[in-house]
Amino acid sequence: MVKYAFFLGCQIPMRLPNVEVAARKVFERLGVETVELLGYSCCPEPVVSRLIDEEAALVISARNITLAEDLGINMMTLCNGCYETLAEANEILKHDAEKRDKVNNILKRYGREYKGKIDIKHVIEVLYEDVGLGNIEKLVVKPQKIRVALHYGCHLYREYKSADIMRKPKMMREIVERTGAQVIDYGLERMCCGYPSMQASEEFSLKERLARKLSRINSAGVDAVVMACPACMIQFELGQVMLRPYGIQFNIPCINLMELLALSFGVPSKELLIELHRSPVQQLVKKLGV
Amino acid sequence: MASPIESEIMNYLKSILGADLIEVYRQRERRIFANVKSEAVRRAIEALKNKYGDMRFMTLSAVDAGLDIEYLYHFHIDGIVLTIRTIRPKENPILESIADLVPAANFIEREISDLFGIRLVNHPEPEPAGLILTKDWPEDKRPLKKPFEGVLPSKARPVAEALMASGCVAPISAFVQKKREEAGLPKSAPFPFTDEKALSEYHGIIKLSGMGERAGFDWEKKKLRYK
Repeated sequence: MVKYAFFLGCQIPMRLPNVEVAARKVFERLGVETVELLGYSCCPEPVVSRLIDEEAALVISARNITLAEDLGINMMTLCNGCYETLAEANEILKHDAEKRDKVNNILKRYGREYKGKIDIKHVIEVLYEDVGLGNIEKLVVKPQKIRVALHYGCHLYREYKSADIMRKPKMMREIVERTGAQVIDYGLERMCCGYPSMQASEEFSLKERLARKLSRINSAGVDAVVMACPACMIQFELGQVMLRPYGIQFNIPCINLMELLALSFGVPSKELLIELHRSPVQQLVKKLGV
Repeated sequence: MASPIESEIMNYLKSILGADLIEVYRQRERRIFANVKSEAVRRAIEALKNKYGDMRFMTLSAVDAGLDIEYLYHFHIDGIVLTIRTIRPKENPILESIADLVPAANFIEREISDLFGIRLVNHPEPEPAGLILTKDWPEDKRPLKKPFEGVLPSKARPVAEALMASGCVAPISAFVQKKREEAGLPKSAPFPFTDEKALSEYHGIIKLSGMGERAGFDWEKKKLRYK
């Protein structure tokens, strides 16, 4: 059985518990054992924390990593942002002795030490590398006969293990295809959804980023957008609502990869808190008859 | 390497100030900086004056750092320039005068008071304001006073506050808590705020990292000092 320290992040448990529920049901079926990280904190959120102090942000990441080191197992994140923050901190601290010493000087006051002994993985890597596509396919009892667009999320392109920034996006595409869904290319996959630029300009973020993507996705004639990042999910769903006052209307269902897997594994939609979605996912589920 | 007089001054400051001396260092040849808690500035100056009778007050500089005013007292002691640096919060803009100890500080304190809108405490002049500006100059339009702002732009402040106060940047609603329970999940994920010991450790680590200070976080109120 594959075993991971489960880093949930902030957005998923607090705003999108539907993603957490789906992930736990998927792990249960796939035999992925998750261990809770008691007392973990925000990874921390990279934009604001680095704006305050990059080295202090590194200390918070290091504390989170030590929680998994104490358990002696690798860490898995469900969120692209947490993945980038923690994997990057892990890389920096493994290779920069000066920064590691500074961080450990603070952590040692609380009996902690960053040792650089564990790996940080995105859930997509766990599904692809540890579980395997074959094992995922075996569990698909309700193939999702839908056309989907993929939004990978900027942080999924962050790569620490190879030079191929498409490594994890390609994995995600293959996983989605194993659920029976047909992936439709729309040409703007790599464009940011606009979530981070909401802090600078809401109008720019919604009209110049999100609306451009949604327009292409709409033209591609898909049933839904599948994504891996909770921040992108919030932007895609809430953004569709926020675009209405600008006279721009879309009605595209947005679901997380873990929800797509759970539905294809036959988990009844009523167990997945689908009603928390702000996009028409309930209609999609009705159409699929799950 | 510090000269005998430089070492003597630094060691003397350590001995008289103890924990009130935050840091003392030789920045370069014949140049010493001492970061001192604001409540100990007068004690330091008085002690130095008693020990070094020919100590000369050069000037006092003030710098508006957004949330605090930084004060730099420059002294000349036997060929060495010693700067005693302290900060005071702008929420309570007062400056305790040293003009009774060092009369030459009288005018510069009044100038700083006018230009930054700072109230002088225990100044020898009964009405120290109005040296540079007219006495009716508006309090909120002081030439060198900056807005009460920290490093964070307004939209980033709620995230920073939540990060430091609770360790989680996404506040949970009662509705989501209910939904979590319906789905068989605990009300919240195991963040630091769910456990007293974890929260105390988390806050301790943030304090030691300097993040709270740089962001302008008030640990008592668990909020940023600026809106």
